[in-house]
Amino acid sequence: MQTQDQARTSIVHRATSGAVLLFIGLGMLAIGWDYPIGRLTQMGPGFIPRAIAVMICVIAVAIIIVDIADAGMDKAGGIQWRGLIFVSAAMLIFAVLVDLAGLVPAMFLAVVVSMLADKAASPATILLYAVLATGAGWLLFLVTLELPIPAFWR
Amino acid sequence: MLRNLIATLPLAIALAVPAVAQDSFPDRSLRIVHGFGPGGNADTVSRIMAEQMSQGLGEPVVVESRPGAGGTVASGYVAGEDPDGYTMQLLVGGHAVAAALYNSLPFEPVDDYTFLSTIGQFPFFLAARAGEYESIDALIEAALADPGSIVIGHSGVGSTQHLTGELLGLETGAEFIHVPYQGGAAASTALMGGEVDLIIDTGTVIRGQADAGVYDVLAVTSAERWPDSPDVPTLNETVAEGFDVISWTALGAPAGLPENVEAALSAEIQRVLAMEDVQAQIAALGASPRGSTGAELQALIERQIAVWTEVIDTAQIERR
Amino acid sequence: MIDQFLMGLSVVMQPEILIYAFAGVFIGQLIGVLPGIGAITAISLLLPVTFYLDATTSMIMLAGIYYGSQYGGSIASILLNLPGTPSSVVTCLEGYPIARDGRAGMALFVAAFSSFVGGMIGVAILVLAAIPMTSIALRFGAPEYAMLVVLGLLAASLVGTGSQLRSFAMVLVGIALGLVGADATTGYYRFVAMPELADGISLVSLAMGLFGVSEIIRNASNRTRTMTNISVTMRDIIPTRTEARSLLGPILRGSTIGSFFGALPGTGAAIASFMAYATEKRVSRTPEKFGTGHLPGLSAPESANNAASQTGFIPTLTLGIPGDAVMALIIGALILNGIIPGPRLMVDQPLLFWGVIASFFVGNVILLLINIPLIRLWVLLLRIPYQKLYPVIIVMICVGVYSHRTSVTDVVLTLAFGIIGYLMKSYRFEPAPVLLGFVLGPLLEDNFRRTMLIYRGDFAIFIERPISAVLFACTVALIGFSIFSTIKTYRRNVQTRGAHER
Repeated sequence: MQTQDQARTSIVHRATSGAVLLFIGLGMLAIGWDYPIGRLTQMGPGFIPRAIAVMICVIAVAIIIVDIADAGMDKAGGIQWRGLIFVSAAMLIFAVLVDLAGLVPAMFLAVVVSMLADKAASPATILLYAVLATGAGWLLFLVTLELPIPAFWR
Repeated sequence: MLRNLIATLPLAIALAVPAVAQDSFPDRSLRIVHGFGPGGNADTVSRIMAEQMSQGLGEPVVVESRPGAGGTVASGYVAGEDPDGYTMQLLVGGHAVAAALYNSLPFEPVDDYTFLSTIGQFPFFLAARAGEYESIDALIEAALADPGSIVIGHSGVGSTQHLTGELLGLETGAEFIHVPYQGGAAASTALMGGEVDLIIDTGTVIRGQADAGVYDVLAVTSAERWPDSPDVPTLNETVAEGFDVISWTALGAPAGLPENVEAALSAEIQRVLAMEDVQAQIAALGASPRGSTGAELQALIERQIAVWTEVIDTAQIERR
Repeated sequence: MIDQFLMGLSVVMQPEILIYAFAGVFIGQLIGVLPGIGAITAISLLLPVTFYLDATTSMIMLAGIYYGSQYGGSIASILLNLPGTPSSVVTCLEGYPIARDGRAGMALFVAAFSSFVGGMIGVAILVLAAIPMTSIALRFGAPEYAMLVVLGLLAASLVGTGSQLRSFAMVLVGIALGLVGADATTGYYRFVAMPELADGISLVSLAMGLFGVSEIIRNASNRTRTMTNISVTMRDIIPTRTEARSLLGPILRGSTIGSFFGALPGTGAAIASFMAYATEKRVSRTPEKFGTGHLPGLSAPESANNAASQTGFIPTLTLGIPGDAVMALIIGALILNGIIPGPRLMVDQPLLFWGVIASFFVGNVILLLINIPLIRLWVLLLRIPYQKLYPVIIVMICVGVYSHRTSVTDVVLTLAFGIIGYLMKSYRFEPAPVLLGFVLGPLLEDNFRRTMLIYRGDFAIFIERPISAVLFACTVALIGFSIFSTIKTYRRNVQTRGAHER
């Protein structure tokens, strides 16, 4: 009984990669459905997107089949959510702040937030590194390279 | 960090007392935004102007490149910025083209802007491989005799060059095949390699080969012969009467600029354009340096929007 | 030609010019190391400086930035699995595993050395064969490009290390991503969810996201990331004799491939590096070693991208036609100085022409001399715990990507690709083929449709034109060979299995 359960969850797990790919292929097909196709010798803008979408779907199915048949496949590695969340937050904060508040605040907060991914970092360390990193960044990007990005809000 | 804090203090004060800030325009760095990639004509002209204007205005002028969708991303961005004089846009002839070409734009091509001045104007030249066609008349004759036999390479769908080619077909009644390339350089390479028969593009793209005798420059698109190339006949005088296509670079700003700011900027632009060095640089890029008033620029743009709208309608080019 | 080259050398070997040459390659190297910031940003920022310099000096400095960036790109690739430039993506595949095994110094040395030889071979071709290369390049029209890309896609379908099926799927996904934007032939908007996507997804966003950000996400919460057994003595940096001997072939092949793609307008260092890697994997007797830290897989792309960045100047110098956006900028600088680039440049401005070419020679030497001692510095950088390093890298990627098109959308896209790349790896999909498809897909479509447009739908044109016919034959041969070897392997497996069963 136990092996049967294991096998069942495994199949779903194993089919995931192919399934996601299939989803992408179908999505492409749906979005690009209205694009004019033309003929092979006079291709419209929709010809290649549809061809590629179909090919992706076919390969996705093939991958699903191959994966399900491969009973000894390793389980996919677990997702490290902490790293994912904090790195994403850091980059998003940068994206929001850089046009609004300038490069320096954006860099500073991005460093702070991304360092929070490390559970063991103390607030003092984080602050210190953020100041150092922002200072170095300011020197490099604004002083040396003179990128046309405002240091602070306009 | 302390240094940065101190540096922002004047700014904080300036922001807190807006009336004072306006009288002392400008008191911080300005920027010229353009909608094309670094290194293109728009970028280079922006940098030329920025370099000189920073000296005249006493504040740094930086160039910001926000490419996308034929320059419309930058136009949309600038239209939404504060009309405080610190944000300008380097506009090109494509602005009028975009107004005609796009179904919906995130900005009003005329109403959302305070137009400051033109910088330079330039026509397009028609070039073919040396020796293949005696004159533009011969080329049009060949095109009329065998429709679809002459292939014109252009620098991208919806570009001014492309539309000029379509206009040529419309005005002469000849049927061409228009082949898009990624930029004028690629179209020129195709002409050299024999893949296309004619290209229509700026002097910058064509000059090197023309000087070397690889290309014959058959015609120019302006109504009058272009002063730098007096030997090149115009389309107007040969195969397409009334043909007058000129592209341009100009400076604009968001609509609603205060009068004194507008006056200050316009004066500075005219001052820079009067400098010999600047005139030489703009001429080197293939344009004729020519300033104008804001009203003249607006009239030019409105005129061109009308022309391009007609071309796009008649040639049934797909709008975006 | 040699005496003209020597004349050019005499132009360069003056203190003032040497300083600008040094400045150019140094800035180029720095730009290459920084992920996301590319040669085009640096050159456009330095353009006003060239207003005050003469044409020759300007060009020497700007050119130095261009090929110098190819040296720096490999450093972050090897040490951090983070490509500094899109053409260094392939370097990650072999360089990073070698560094992980504790021989980062050796990887950096091999990369620098391969880059140097590649650059030198590129310069040699520039000196000796610029004109013939140009006339060959001009004979490449739309049909030839289309065939070349087909051949390239087939040859490079081995770039991934995982299953072939999954690699091919990733190539398709890459092609799909390349379709986003305005269609080049009709201007029709495809998959354009917002106006910022109208010009397509930027290659830098994709490369930095899939390779850089995904790597950071993977390691951010992993505390066991410091490398301890790092060797920095000279003896450990220099490869063993057997290793060195194995490099001769890859370097020569890579340089040839790079020189070819560099001279061809519209293709450049990135494509060259992929092709060189794929070629090595094809001709290798031990293809299974690729992806685990195999030196030929490191040195061939490095030679290729440097050779390409040198021969990339051929169309610019002989025709005045820029091969890519960076070249257009350099040509712009020339124009502002009153020089009209074109076929007459060699004749009208011999000092400029040969001075610039000679500066490539000098520049490569300078870069080699800079890079070798710096290896110890870079390797020491690895001693910094990853926890302190990656926040800085994130910021560098953000700034680098943002500075390209002053676009916040690009930064968000980079993050999106980072997340996707991270998830992909967990599900055993390789990111490298995505980049390949992304770069080659649009090239294939544009050229195929252009061929159909010009030649009125006549398929036979692919076989009628000589170069295209040759490429077509190679494609058929490659397909045939692949089928043949697959059948052979299958037969052998069946036999062995049969023997076992008996």
